[in-house]
Amino acid sequence: MKPFRYARPGGVAEAVRSGAEQPGSRFLAGGTNLVDLMKLGVERPDLVVDVGGLGLDEIVVDSGGGLRIGANVRNSDLAVHPAVRRELPMLSQALLSGASGQLRNQATAAGNLLQRTRCVYFQDVSKPCNKREPGSGCPARQGDHRNLAVLGGSAACIATHPSDFAVALAAADAEVAVTGPAGERTLRLDELYLLPGEHPERETSLAPGDLITAIVVPPLPFGTTSAYRKVRDRASYAFAVASVAAAIDVTDGVVRDVRIALGAVAPKPWRAHRAEDALRGLEPTASAFRAAVEAELSVAEPLPDNAFKLPLTANVVVSVLSDLTGASR
Amino acid sequence: MTTPTQATTPAAARTRTPIGAPGRLENDAKGGVGTSPQRPDGALKVTGEFAYSSDLWMDNMLWGVTLRSPHPFARIRAVDIAAALATPGVVAVLTAADVPGRNVFGLELSDQPVLADDVVRYQGEAVALVAADHPEIARQAAKKIRVDYQVWEPITDARAALGHPTWNRLHDHPAEDVELSRSAAAIHPKGNLVRHLKIRKGDPDEAADVVVRGEYSVGMQDQAFLGPESGLAVPDGEGGVDLYVATQWLHVDQRQICTALGLTPDQVRLTLAGVGGAFGGREDLSMHVHGCMLALHTGKPVKMVYNREESFFGHVHRHPAEMRYEHGATRDGTLVFVNCDIYFDGGAYASSTPAVVGNGGTMGIGPYVVPNVRIDAYGVYTNNPPCGAMRGFGSVQTAFAYEAQMDLLAAELGMDPIDLRVRNAMAEGSVTPHGQTIDSPAPVAELLQRLREMPLPAEPDGADIDLRSLPGGVANSTHGEGVKRGVGYAVTYKNVAFSEGFDDYSTARVQIEAHQGNPLVVVHTAAAEVGQGLVTIEQQICRTELGVENVIVHPKNTDVGSGGSTSASRQTYMTGGAVKLACEAVRDRILTLARDRTDAPLDDAALVDGNIVTPSGAVLMSIADAIGEAVIEETREHHHRPTEEIDPETGQGFAHVQYSFSAHRAVVDVDTELGLLKVVELACVQDVGKALNADAVVGQIQGGSAQGMGLAIMEEIVVKDGKIRNPSFTDYLIPTILDTPPMPIQVLEYADPHAPYGLRGVGEAPTISSGPAVAAAIRQATGLPLTRVPIRPEHITGT
Amino acid sequence: MQLSVNGQSRDLELDNRTTLLDALREHLGLIGSKKGCDHGQCGACTVLLDGRRTNACLVLAVTCAGREVATIEGLAGPDGLHPVQQAFVEHDGFQCGYCTPGQIMSAVGMLEEFERGWPSAVTGEVQPAGLTAPEIRERMSGNLCRCGAYVGILAALTDVASRS
Repeated sequence: MKPFRYARPGGVAEAVRSGAEQPGSRFLAGGTNLVDLMKLGVERPDLVVDVGGLGLDEIVVDSGGGLRIGANVRNSDLAVHPAVRRELPMLSQALLSGASGQLRNQATAAGNLLQRTRCVYFQDVSKPCNKREPGSGCPARQGDHRNLAVLGGSAACIATHPSDFAVALAAADAEVAVTGPAGERTLRLDELYLLPGEHPERETSLAPGDLITAIVVPPLPFGTTSAYRKVRDRASYAFAVASVAAAIDVTDGVVRDVRIALGAVAPKPWRAHRAEDALRGLEPTASAFRAAVEAELSVAEPLPDNAFKLPLTANVVVSVLSDLTGASR
Repeated sequence: MTTPTQATTPAAARTRTPIGAPGRLENDAKGGVGTSPQRPDGALKVTGEFAYSSDLWMDNMLWGVTLRSPHPFARIRAVDIAAALATPGVVAVLTAADVPGRNVFGLELSDQPVLADDVVRYQGEAVALVAADHPEIARQAAKKIRVDYQVWEPITDARAALGHPTWNRLHDHPAEDVELSRSAAAIHPKGNLVRHLKIRKGDPDEAADVVVRGEYSVGMQDQAFLGPESGLAVPDGEGGVDLYVATQWLHVDQRQICTALGLTPDQVRLTLAGVGGAFGGREDLSMHVHGCMLALHTGKPVKMVYNREESFFGHVHRHPAEMRYEHGATRDGTLVFVNCDIYFDGGAYASSTPAVVGNGGTMGIGPYVVPNVRIDAYGVYTNNPPCGAMRGFGSVQTAFAYEAQMDLLAAELGMDPIDLRVRNAMAEGSVTPHGQTIDSPAPVAELLQRLREMPLPAEPDGADIDLRSLPGGVANSTHGEGVKRGVGYAVTYKNVAFSEGFDDYSTARVQIEAHQGNPLVVVHTAAAEVGQGLVTIEQQICRTELGVENVIVHPKNTDVGSGGSTSASRQTYMTGGAVKLACEAVRDRILTLARDRTDAPLDDAALVDGNIVTPSGAVLMSIADAIGEAVIEETREHHHRPTEEIDPETGQGFAHVQYSFSAHRAVVDVDTELGLLKVVELACVQDVGKALNADAVVGQIQGGSAQGMGLAIMEEIVVKDGKIRNPSFTDYLIPTILDTPPMPIQVLEYADPHAPYGLRGVGEAPTISSGPAVAAAIRQATGLPLTRVPIRPEHITGT
Repeated sequence: MQLSVNGQSRDLELDNRTTLLDALREHLGLIGSKKGCDHGQCGACTVLLDGRRTNACLVLAVTCAGREVATIEGLAGPDGLHPVQQAFVEHDGFQCGYCTPGQIMSAVGMLEEFERGWPSAVTGEVQPAGLTAPEIRERMSGNLCRCGAYVGILAALTDVASRS
């Protein structure tokens, strides 16, 4: 691990200032991803700003059912929160399906969103990787890409985002509250995450010093009818091979509204707008679900070893939506 | 407990003993052979006091690290250590030129350099060593070593390496033979063939009513022991060294270390440090010679601990295998012939490949009686990671193939798969494909029939289904609609102990004295305790044979003769047998002493509950009184009955001393839409001859079953172009407790008259039969051929 | 810095890079917490940090000032083994024992989480009254055991849960 300076700021403003002033600084909260990557030499910060002592660990439920989740809320505390389990089961399910009891106790909400990819080339500093070393190349297309993206990738990078939680948040239209050198702002999740394009090293729109202070989940009246489903190579304690977060509102026999986000298939949590658009106004049948998700996946660019994610993801979507609506298959 | 006197004097003056060096194991447990007393290391292990090899510590020690090749095949043009050596804190940087003795080691063939000299043959091969006063400094310095490689194209296909047609095969598609456009380079001077085992029995062209053919492949499995390779080498100041290390066979390590260091066995003394699992992966050397070289060079103790990633490069793995089988049978299901070709990819160095080929070949058609057999089993050098011993070595791979073939044949014949197996089952008196008559019980049919009679777990039925029981659990499955249940069976057999003419033996030293009026026994062997509970067994045998309660287990070291390897399911048989012999010798001497004190006839006397008793149970005197002030010590070797090398052309011969039989039934729920699997139950029936410790036997069966299941459904070291792609526990998955189902187990005890107490080795057989049963259940549930393991979600859902 | 371990305050001089696991093992000589992977992938280093089970290998020691660390060494009381330790011995919950301290500390934390009413990934809408086998399996899945002593571990924890 590279030597680094360690700072423990007394407040958000000081943290932001520290982060902005020192190029190559990193905020440390739970550390379950950052410390891991520092050991691998993937992350090499000169300054580690420990924001773990800043509080930011409250969950506030507003009267409409919306949530404001402090950045430092531990994954386990969030997952077991009664309002979260009641109002947005998919959030709780996504969190509980991730990692292990130990890791969920340590990892924070904001840190979960900012996890780095599990691509084996990114994780191995002896290999080229455009995300880690811009311009060094990407061996994944010709090499090991079973776990990599079929949607949203680029010639430079097909890494997938590893978070389960972020997939559920994407389906919930969540935003992040950010405090930066220029003040406070909120970003929708699709504004937070950037697709790789020619610059896979830039994963988010956060600038140096920008600190996520909270995650804001707007009220989702039909969030009670939501679920997160995850396929993995082992029953627990494994990253997703394919996953889906979905919420659906069926009124008078037709889909009035629906939210679908896909995990493990793209460089960011993939909100399936195309599928959602296709479903609104239709009867909730398995065939309608399948047609919708296939429309979403029609733009996919699979490779030989990850092409299986397309039918698998379609099956997961159909399965989740069918369960939520009671549609027979 | 009491405090005994030293049983033996250390071979050398060890003025400096590391923190974490093993102490004597003693506890208050009671119970001899046939009981399940608590293990003497149990309390230490649950309190965190038990020290493993990675816990060893000396205040003045240095830390050693290894520089490894990034290339699977390359010539080393030059190595420049100047920058590394100049790093502050670095004490030594060593390369091949610094190997004091012969730069070679190897378990069966001496074909591997201690440090690569002119050629590296696999990714991860050791090239140089660094010792520094902090591990991080050593690691950073190693990165400064400049190695100039001329990179060659690696040979990564076992058949191509032999010049055989490659099998151009995608998952579940029939193979096409593809002739090579050019011949592969020789990885070693004598070519790329490590061993070709030929078995020719009967007439392979005999006509059969029904013939089924299949091709199968098994991925590379890792032992994945949780405690990584580690040890501490302490120089004695007189040119010798003491090595504390986690290993499986102290004396074979010692032999190889002596060769590499140019020292004699009395100069290289090994002590077994705490072992965090082994499973075959510690039978070969890891840091042993490297640590000793650094210690001797620097004059300081040197500790080396691999991290998890390095561990994937630091030990051999289970051979991946490609297999092609052809089974012929009569219409009524009697096997007429089996022909097969088996390729074991041994990787860059031989390790245990000859034995793997021997096992895989001789037992390559399973525990069935077949009059006509042709087997060609090959062990091959490639530039893939070296493969060697792992629990069930050689037999795990072939079992996936031959048991899948039996199911295929049953389907073709319209027979029940168990009926087919029972019809062809081996029994006592049967002759194996290699011409050996089975001369002890072989209850293959009974294992299967008992399995069939064991109650099946409740079927899931829509309304009452416990969602938590579904594949993926409550939130994650298709909630029943796509879930299909399959039931699969497999039966296998495996040789116990070392075979094919090897003079396999173990040594035990047993000492008894009277301490505070009670007899106290110290048992000393060099047989490695790796978690299986051998230390408990040693205590139990002493208690039974000598009629005493207090038995102390001496630390395992090379002050006593070889215990042989903790592998091949052999230690209870071999070292247990040695302890029994030593106890018998001690008993004779106790009775001799007793004769000085009594005129009663002692020829039929026994030692029971601390006393010398007549056959009718009358107490003649206490053992302590008989011993008096004497200290009785006897050392005995236990050799198993000789086996033979098999004929190189026909493969016939008395190759194996004993066989172990097990059968599994797997019940698996498969979510066919999501590719999720849940092993609902894994039932096992195994014949163990005699359960010396029933709890330990069950533990071995459970552990072996879990490892076999892991290979079937998740475990594979992914190697592409000779490079390991997943050297971490995030990317190489092993079963968790959630993946591990209930395991109903029936243990049979049909004594083997040739073995101590009639026992059979236990540890490997369940590793062999569990995976094929799981694969069979998934095939039954899905209707898919699934000829490759591990089976992954995409193999079920398709692409 | 000061580190409070098993109720005792310890003074340490540590490099920023030192993990809690290395601080325990190499600076305090508390070798009970094991390094199986050093990346949060095996659970062998599990300790309780402020009462919660945590992978000590992914925690920088410098972040632990003012926090309470509990390790396997502090678990047994003056009257003998902790009930979870005792149950592991009685039910053969280990073979090689390398994962065992982490298993036991994880179990202690897990039992406390269940007491608090925390659901798991296999919990339905209603928390079961007692720890069922699926609940124990799911909640303990962050601790690998390569010896495959899981059946014994499950039996040990079922036993402990039924007694508490």
